[in-house]
Amino acid sequence: MTTSRRDFLRTSGLTLGALSCANALPSWMIEAEARLDAAAASVNKPELAQIALSTARKLGATYADIRINRYRNEGISTRERQVQSVGRSGSFGFGVRALVNGAWGFAASRNVTPEEVRRIMTDAIETARANARYQRRKVTLVPAPKVVTTTTWRSSFERDPFDVGLEEKIRFLLALNEAALKTKGVSFVNSSMQFVNEEKFYASTDGSQVEQYIIRSYPNFNVTAVDQTRGDFQTRAAFGGPQQLGYEYLQNYPWLQEAEQAGRDAVEKLSARPVEAGKYDLVLDPSHLWLTIHESVGHPTELDRALGWEANYAGTSFLTPDKTGKFQFGSKIVNFIADRTQKGGLATVAYDDDGVKAQRWHLVRDGLFVDWQTTRDLAAVTGRKESNGCAHADSWGSVVFPRMPNVSLEPSKENTTLDELIADVKNGILIYGNGSYSIDQQRYNFQFGGQTFREIKNGKVGPMLRDVAYQARTPDFWGACDALGGGATYRLGGSFNDGKGEPSQSNAVSHGCPPARFRAINVLNTAASRS
Amino acid sequence: MLLTEKDAKAITERVMSFVKADDAIVNVSSENYAHQRFAANAFTTGGKREGMNVGVTVWVDKKRGASSTTETDESALRATVEQAEQLARLSPVDREYLPTLSQQTYKPASGFSEATANVTTAERARVVDDVLKACERANVTGAGLYQTQAAAGASRTKNGNFYFERASLVSLGLTARTREGDGSGYFLRNHYDVRRLDAARVAREAIQKGLNSRNPRTIDPGVYPVILEPQAVADLLSFFAFSFDARSAEEGRSPFSAIGGKTKMGEKIFDERLNVYSDPQNAELPGSQSAQGGLPSQKIYLVRNGVLENLTYSRFWASQKGVQPTAGPVNNIMEGASGGASVDEMIRATPRGLLLSRFWYIRSVDPRTALVTGLTRDGVWFIENGRISYPVRNFRFNQSVIQMLAPGNVEMIGRPERVGSSEAQGSSAALLPALKLKAFNFTSQSEAV
Repeated sequence: MTTSRRDFLRTSGLTLGALSCANALPSWMIEAEARLDAAAASVNKPELAQIALSTARKLGATYADIRINRYRNEGISTRERQVQSVGRSGSFGFGVRALVNGAWGFAASRNVTPEEVRRIMTDAIETARANARYQRRKVTLVPAPKVVTTTTWRSSFERDPFDVGLEEKIRFLLALNEAALKTKGVSFVNSSMQFVNEEKFYASTDGSQVEQYIIRSYPNFNVTAVDQTRGDFQTRAAFGGPQQLGYEYLQNYPWLQEAEQAGRDAVEKLSARPVEAGKYDLVLDPSHLWLTIHESVGHPTELDRALGWEANYAGTSFLTPDKTGKFQFGSKIVNFIADRTQKGGLATVAYDDDGVKAQRWHLVRDGLFVDWQTTRDLAAVTGRKESNGCAHADSWGSVVFPRMPNVSLEPSKENTTLDELIADVKNGILIYGNGSYSIDQQRYNFQFGGQTFREIKNGKVGPMLRDVAYQARTPDFWGACDALGGGATYRLGGSFNDGKGEPSQSNAVSHGCPPARFRAINVLNTAASRS
Repeated sequence: MLLTEKDAKAITERVMSFVKADDAIVNVSSENYAHQRFAANAFTTGGKREGMNVGVTVWVDKKRGASSTTETDESALRATVEQAEQLARLSPVDREYLPTLSQQTYKPASGFSEATANVTTAERARVVDDVLKACERANVTGAGLYQTQAAAGASRTKNGNFYFERASLVSLGLTARTREGDGSGYFLRNHYDVRRLDAARVAREAIQKGLNSRNPRTIDPGVYPVILEPQAVADLLSFFAFSFDARSAEEGRSPFSAIGGKTKMGEKIFDERLNVYSDPQNAELPGSQSAQGGLPSQKIYLVRNGVLENLTYSRFWASQKGVQPTAGPVNNIMEGASGGASVDEMIRATPRGLLLSRFWYIRSVDPRTALVTGLTRDGVWFIENGRISYPVRNFRFNQSVIQMLAPGNVEMIGRPERVGSSEAQGSSAALLPALKLKAFNFTSQSEAV
């Protein structure tokens, strides 16, 4: 889903370009950066938290919390042999929520001062009281053990991208472009890198207090080959995707080789054979399959959807509470794990925005749907004793609500290779990279494209195909999964901006998987269905 | 606190005074945003956010750097400018740099309402309570969002341009599902003026669609004649006027590209009754007074009488091609040549076809033909002999937007109505008509309700 704020600004005309620019540089090099750091660091967060929480208690809140967060974004974008934009953005502020008489109230401000904290908490409580007057179903929370972190928890990274020089970053991107442009016939290359740093502080009336420092990195490129004589063009985007890692991710992943391959792929796609629509066995690479997992497994196992809380936007779910432990989601080899502790996982944290410790649990075990993603208020609605820690807000100015943890497909316990998956396919397609994607509001019917498609004939990979998309029904699709790669083939893919909720919020989330094989899936030729 | 023009002048002047770079743009924006969300016939989350953002883009020896912050004390603003300047010094030359604009003359736009800016928490709660009462009376389950926003912003260039503008928005969207889960209806409207948002109508229409879509029948996917209600048109085309980029067309990577590096400009590629344009002075859908971050916006036609009349040129691309930059688009208006038919008239004129209320999860499949996929949602009805016969199950479609509007495929065009894309949650707006189309391509069934 897309963010709504940008749409509003476009509609209302306040399209003030630089406001949304997300870009950057090395903090240790820049005095200005150091001064902004110092300003944020000078705020006494525990003291402000005390003011917020004592105000809330005094005004009758049964629960309240405050998040004082600073976000930094860096971004560089290039095309061919030029840099298009370099910039940075920073956002610092706080958000409070309070539960009064069974209704929530939320308020947020960018002025991080004691007076403002008092005013904003009072505002949140007024909202809660106004809503409580009309509330039909009282909100309650399951308890969460009190936690106080003595040091700031840091996500896993070796090299903080905010400490890496701009020249190095620009050199990296322009080298990617050159690698792609090596192939004759490549017309355009766009490349970019984005880095996010979240410094999060959370304190609640439970007595909890948590500080976290999170880094995410997202290099990306897209290659275009244009055939002007035929009025045709094809693109090939990067397979790599974002990770909750530092700048070492740009150095350790073979980006240059991939950009060079992408150039060859884009040109080859121009003359590739259009796929003939019909049933095919599919072998899906992790660079593609992560998105299918995200849409068809990650979202339908969100308990808020099943309870109708997302009915007006993202939708509901074909899974319902009465199906827990009973519904055959896929074949017996299929196991899905929700995990907020996974190294490199974009949704990995120490504690969620409800103050609940990060966890790892099965959503689907041996093909059977067994559990949900929950928060403290969702757990209470369904009579559970505890939350499994899926509360998140994308900003100090956003409301905390249920968001997806990393959801991953476990690899086979055998050491199955990609070649072994392919060897047993008579008539199939091997798909890499994520392309077009769409799924209905209950997560039954989906359609996915990809970046590259190779024919599989009698166990051998053949020439490239084009105009491929597959359509399936979620339980049928996962029921048709008959083989998985082993642990050595497991890779992490993910989304930097997964939209959900009203007002819409963005979440970063990873999905790990091995390559997997699916029998007799319906494939359409997209170029033949223009009508 | 929303910025006044005086505040905006002062803060942009102050920031510009810190700039040592050769050229610069300073933007400031502020917003007061509030929402009340509800689901399962109960209040869920609600609250307010007050925000301000200052952004600065500078050029040093034609090298560009940008920085923005939410912290507006003098030290933070000074640091933000210095940061942008240091980024610029370290960057390569910006080959697309053009000097920022000198003072322009703007015609003020009117998309701001004090009444919208002043909606209180208690008033929001009452509107939602009324919607939930209507759902309870009809024995349906309601979920939705009521949101209000007031925004004010300004832009100043080192070469002397300054403009300030304000905008407001209120929207209400409701999904009404039957208790049995066999029917679902949706309705969404927004406006810049809260007094012109009919909340009771939103509730009435969503509930009626939910009840009327119960017990849908299964019919085969395939190519059908269709009537798209304005919401369905908005879901497909709410940003249509913003998709006529000249550069990508001339680079050969747009549906408006033609063989041999040419474009389709001047060709009648749409139904000859169709007009697509942008008009900042439209009373129902006021647009920004500035286009492309500074050019005074003007009324521009993208499509007139079915002919692709204009592609939009950025300042840079216009300078490369020796043409004038385009003073728009700032909003999206589609209308037919005559007054326009009602949806009821379209139904009466349909011997066999489908009435569609909403589309969902629309994504590009083939940018060469603007082919998109997505699904119907919240109401599909079969029409026989000029009357609605029964609800049917949802479909997935794969359909080229260009071919959908092509000569020969558009049968009737309705009166334009202010609507917003449902995927944008009511935060986007366009003036779009209902459309009666000869053929629309459904490729599979969805059992989702």
